[in-house]
Amino acid sequence: MKLTCSKEVFLENISIAEKTTGKNLTLPVLGCLLLDANEDGVLKIRATNIDLGIELSIPATIHEPGRVVVPGNILQSVISSMYDSKDITLSLSGENLSVSSPKSKTIIKSFPTDDFPTLPEIEKEDITFTFNSKDFLRGVQSVWFSASTTTIKPELATVYIYVFDKKMYFVATDSFRLGEKTLSISKNIDMEPILIPIKNIIEIIKVFDFLNDTDIEVHLNENQIVFTTKGVYVTSRLIDGNFPDYKQILPKEFTSEVIVLKQDLINVLKKINIFSDKSNQVQFLVEPSKKKVVLKSQNKDVGETVETLDAALSGDDLQISFNHKYITDCLQSINSDSISLSFTGLSRPVVMKGVSDTSFLYLVMPMNK
Amino acid sequence: MTIDSKQLWENTLIDVELNISKANFTTWFKNTHIVKEEDGIIYLGVPSQFVKDWISKKYHKFILKTLRGFAGEIRGLEYVIVKEQDVKKKASTNSTRSQNTLRNVNELPLENFYINKNDNLNPRYTFESFVVGAFNELAHAAAQAVVKKPGIAYNPLFLYGPTGLGKTHLAQAVGNYLKKLNSDKKVYYITSERFTVEYLNAVQDMRANSFKEKYRSYDVLIMDDIQFFAKKEKTQEELFHLFNALYDDNKQIVFTSDQHPNFISDLENRLKSRFAAGMIVDIPTPDYDSRVAILKAKAAHNNFQLSDEIIEYLATTVQGNIRDLEGVLNILICQSQLKGVVLKLDEVENLIKNSAKPKKTASVKEVVQKVSEFYDVDEANIYEKTRRKEIVRPRQLIMYILREDFNVSYPSIGQKLGGRDHTTVIHSCEKIKRELKNDPTLEQEINQIRTILK
Repeated sequence: MKLTCSKEVFLENISIAEKTTGKNLTLPVLGCLLLDANEDGVLKIRATNIDLGIELSIPATIHEPGRVVVPGNILQSVISSMYDSKDITLSLSGENLSVSSPKSKTIIKSFPTDDFPTLPEIEKEDITFTFNSKDFLRGVQSVWFSASTTTIKPELATVYIYVFDKKMYFVATDSFRLGEKTLSISKNIDMEPILIPIKNIIEIIKVFDFLNDTDIEVHLNENQIVFTTKGVYVTSRLIDGNFPDYKQILPKEFTSEVIVLKQDLINVLKKINIFSDKSNQVQFLVEPSKKKVVLKSQNKDVGETVETLDAALSGDDLQISFNHKYITDCLQSINSDSISLSFTGLSRPVVMKGVSDTSFLYLVMPMNK
Repeated sequence: MTIDSKQLWENTLIDVELNISKANFTTWFKNTHIVKEEDGIIYLGVPSQFVKDWISKKYHKFILKTLRGFAGEIRGLEYVIVKEQDVKKKASTNSTRSQNTLRNVNELPLENFYINKNDNLNPRYTFESFVVGAFNELAHAAAQAVVKKPGIAYNPLFLYGPTGLGKTHLAQAVGNYLKKLNSDKKVYYITSERFTVEYLNAVQDMRANSFKEKYRSYDVLIMDDIQFFAKKEKTQEELFHLFNALYDDNKQIVFTSDQHPNFISDLENRLKSRFAAGMIVDIPTPDYDSRVAILKAKAAHNNFQLSDEIIEYLATTVQGNIRDLEGVLNILICQSQLKGVVLKLDEVENLIKNSAKPKKTASVKEVVQKVSEFYDVDEANIYEKTRRKEIVRPRQLIMYILREDFNVSYPSIGQKLGGRDHTTVIHSCEKIKRELKNDPTLEQEINQIRTILK
């Protein structure tokens, strides 16, 4: 194998791929990147942790085709500390990889290429559709933070995606809060609902971020989802589980409603954060009778703060406490200047929405006193 | 999985482990097991597509050879991806910390809403949890016959009866049982309303063909509450074709409805006749003995102690459907848990007072009006002294219903229906009772009238 390519492009791509390599796995080859140079003038960089797999292709001048497997973190550190040239040359030195620029020559010990796993491929019977990368990003980024971070219930450590009536729904919940984002699509896609593991979603978001605005081809079967576009191939395992029928818990009637400016709420929550204790508690005093909303937090080691918000109110008076982190989390997903908080009573969830934006909905359960 | 195949796989793994590195072994062979063995082909369960691809590429020959070494009759090896259960257990230990900090936040009540997305079946509905009494014996027997010979015994199976008597439970039990028996069977449960929406969407998006294909691929189709198909002509037509396709392939179909198919208004005749080709079973409201049995079973299910005295009392007082019985029982359980004592009869009586439905009351006039409407006769004729046949029959029915359902005394019925003698009324009631024994259509008519009067 012998090839020359742009250092900058190479570094950018291996940095993305390196994130997908397996950490703390018993099989060291999973911490590696496979570099595969073929005759077409394309260098393929592949990484997998056998849950998520990624293959990136970059243009390169191939003098001699071949493949090599080297540890991802070492390769990345080496390339990022080469400053003397725009281009680098990769070649084999015996079994090992040699990285050279005019002023340096580095040899990285390689692993047997035969041990590097293959990625699941697109199958003919897969369901296929195209989707804009920005739209997809918008969908998952609006909800992913609500997903469960533990794997006690694997079906909740996911983003749930389904299509119904010309809309694509993205949903995530850890059973304490729930986010739902709806995107309109031009025509219905005939797909079963899918559950993508949240760990993989976070990596997929990074890849899509790096892609900018392009159309992505999605291939789907029972076990696997594949995203492909020019130079990128990402495949993730799907969780085989049932997402709860969350529509049934969305409240339909509310006891009190508060509309506040998003920026006001952000400012107040920042201050609340300073004084909240370990449980992140913030107390809401919703008082339509006195036409005000008061937020309180206290910490016996730091102090306490009481904040009054300008708001339009209706309904019954209510005193209720939340984890303020849960409230703050959703604010980035609401694209609207004002936010409505609809309460359904003590020990019952609050529904948060943008006033002019119906595509995002967020449900938070209160804390026990 | 049988002991044999478990042993076989363990032996194979020992061989595999000796031949590849420890790291490779734990990465690729963790969580693998033999799912089943069929016609000499071993189906190996693996946790993901990655593992499937890799094992089949790298180790296929080796595994097959080793397997054959233990069991010569094995001809092939296939891979299937199965859900890993072990991941759950392992993860639960290292995540307790993050759970602790969240403990004082209430949880969304998601637990109750798990439904299998592939078949829409609720796993709680099984034959084991179905209480059989005199009233639903026939329906239960028919369902049992269906699961023994799906598609052949009774196809379609049509269950009908008022709400809350276990139609859905029984229909889903058929599906759950068949699925358990053979996991390859594609079972699907859908309500008629959902079917209609799906069909309309498919037509709108020009996907009618994929819709057709989807439904034709099921081995068992359970459709709930088909009375809602009334007046939906296009959907009925689609159902008709679907029915024919499934029926021709001997695929089992189960329908439920709140009425006999003949009485579902605006249901096409060709559909009605097809329903009639299978088995139509009625689930009537439970009799006293069945109510006792149901209460006992439900109480035992909830680990709740109930004296025979209280059960008898409940069975007599709460005469509605099974859902009403469950409701009352839940109140008792809740109360006794709150107070921490076993409830006595008088306490139960007090508690039930509010939830037991009051005995139905309806004015004689209302009954007369509804019945004459039903038979399309002039209301005034009922009160007159006419003996025309088309009037006499409804009049007798009215008397019977007033007596049976509303407990009106014979003399007062006679007086209110145009000053007749109470013996006339007795005669009429006896006559209808006699006829009921031999005339099922009369029974259906009366049931229909009863639903109108509710």
